[in-house]
Amino acid sequence: MLRVSGLTVGYGEDPVIEGIDLEIAAGEFVSLVGPSGSGKTSILRVVTELLVPLAGVVELDAPVRDVGFLFQDDALLPWRTVRENVALGLRIREVPAAAIDEQVEHWLARLGLAGYEGRYPGQLSGGQRKRVAIAQVLALKPRLLLMDEPFASLDAIVRTRITQELLEWVEREHLTVLLVTHDLEEAISASDAVYVLSHGPRATIQARHVVDIPRPRRLLESRRHPTFGPLVQQLWTELSTEPPRR
Amino acid sequence: MTSARARSLRRGIALALLLGLWETLARIGWFDPFYAPPPSHVAQVLFELVASGEIWPHLGATATAAFAGLLLGLGLGIGLGFAAALSPRLAELLEPVMILLNAIPRVILAPLFVIWLGIGLASKLALATILVAVLIFFSVYNGIREVDQRLVERVRTLGGGRRVLMREVYIPSVTAWVLGNFKVAVGFAFTGAVVGEFVASSRGLGYLLQFAQTTYNAALTIALIFVIMVFVLLLFALSERLERRLLAWRYS
Repeated sequence: MLRVSGLTVGYGEDPVIEGIDLEIAAGEFVSLVGPSGSGKTSILRVVTELLVPLAGVVELDAPVRDVGFLFQDDALLPWRTVRENVALGLRIREVPAAAIDEQVEHWLARLGLAGYEGRYPGQLSGGQRKRVAIAQVLALKPRLLLMDEPFASLDAIVRTRITQELLEWVEREHLTVLLVTHDLEEAISASDAVYVLSHGPRATIQARHVVDIPRPRRLLESRRHPTFGPLVQQLWTELSTEPPRR
Repeated sequence: MTSARARSLRRGIALALLLGLWETLARIGWFDPFYAPPPSHVAQVLFELVASGEIWPHLGATATAAFAGLLLGLGLGIGLGFAAALSPRLAELLEPVMILLNAIPRVILAPLFVIWLGIGLASKLALATILVAVLIFFSVYNGIREVDQRLVERVRTLGGGRRVLMREVYIPSVTAWVLGNFKVAVGFAFTGAVVGEFVASSRGLGYLLQFAQTTYNAALTIALIFVIMVFVLLLFALSERLERRLLAWRYS
């Protein structure tokens, strides 16, 4: 579904990431973990064409319009209601009005936002805003979903609940996902594979780990799987290693 | 009694006490009525102005210049602001001129407008327009340049191009900036009209003020200041209602 080869991204003289190779098969859930500033977000921005790389190739088995991007901030239009925000992508794609209404109703009900249609983002809690952002992206039926620490700002309970709901949806629809996160436990419990980025600048992929926990998964139960603890420990060790002085 | 009503009552009492003190001091001769006529005399002058109908043509002339100047200033400011924000070359030309116009007290242009455009409506309109246009130009220019990039990227990843970005992000963002300055713009438009009339004209509240000043008529001057204050406060209240209606998302 997504193949990244030799990707180098930089904003000045020093590349932030250099020579990144990464591959995600259709229906696979892959996480990317790494230290702050290692350029994880840059990879997602290149895939969605928000950023032009210095070098490298991104191959997608789908048009870029089939890529959904859940940002770290919910970034909803403050002057649009919940309904209008969810409908935004569909309107941009000139979907007929009746179909938009149907989709919006479906997603609002699905994500527990029924009754909030007429509210503005400023009137919602952080968790509700995230749900609106999820509805906005999923209403477009993306084939590849990119997530940039989308739930980092939420408290642990809301975060686990929303992640679980999203995971169930992803498993049911066989969506392909690339998740960028700092949270090692979240990465392992949700993913089929975890890529580890080294310290930047010039960060590279230093390891790829396959997560051998059967699906469908429950986030909290996954953490009791025998492979979970050792994998957390291994990722922790890899990420704690001080970068060599250049 | 609600705290808002109690506050209004306290303000009303304070104002009444101040006017009462002023009236008393003027009547017992501590204030020279030539310079500080008692409020009762000012009220009488005001009543005569209104009852005789003398005030209306002047108020009409000032309001016409102010409203027309406000509309023209908004149009010019929005147009130039958008053009400069979207065209770096135009911004290079416009920004220094606008910064200069913003830095100077723009009312000093009033005599020049009288020389160029005469003592009629055009010179007042020009002054009101330029006062408003510079303010609105910066609202629009900064509004576009400082638009939340996360929203821009969000719309782009949803498939939005330049037209969608303009409709969904830039125009609403700029509207919020412009409406945030709308009350100030209304005040500027009124200032432009009155100052323009004050410098040279044959009609308008500014003209009446100038007449009151040259005849050393303090009561008429204060009465006119009162009329202008009431009119501007009324416009402020209307502007605020407009702002609350158009920016419902901000006040919700």
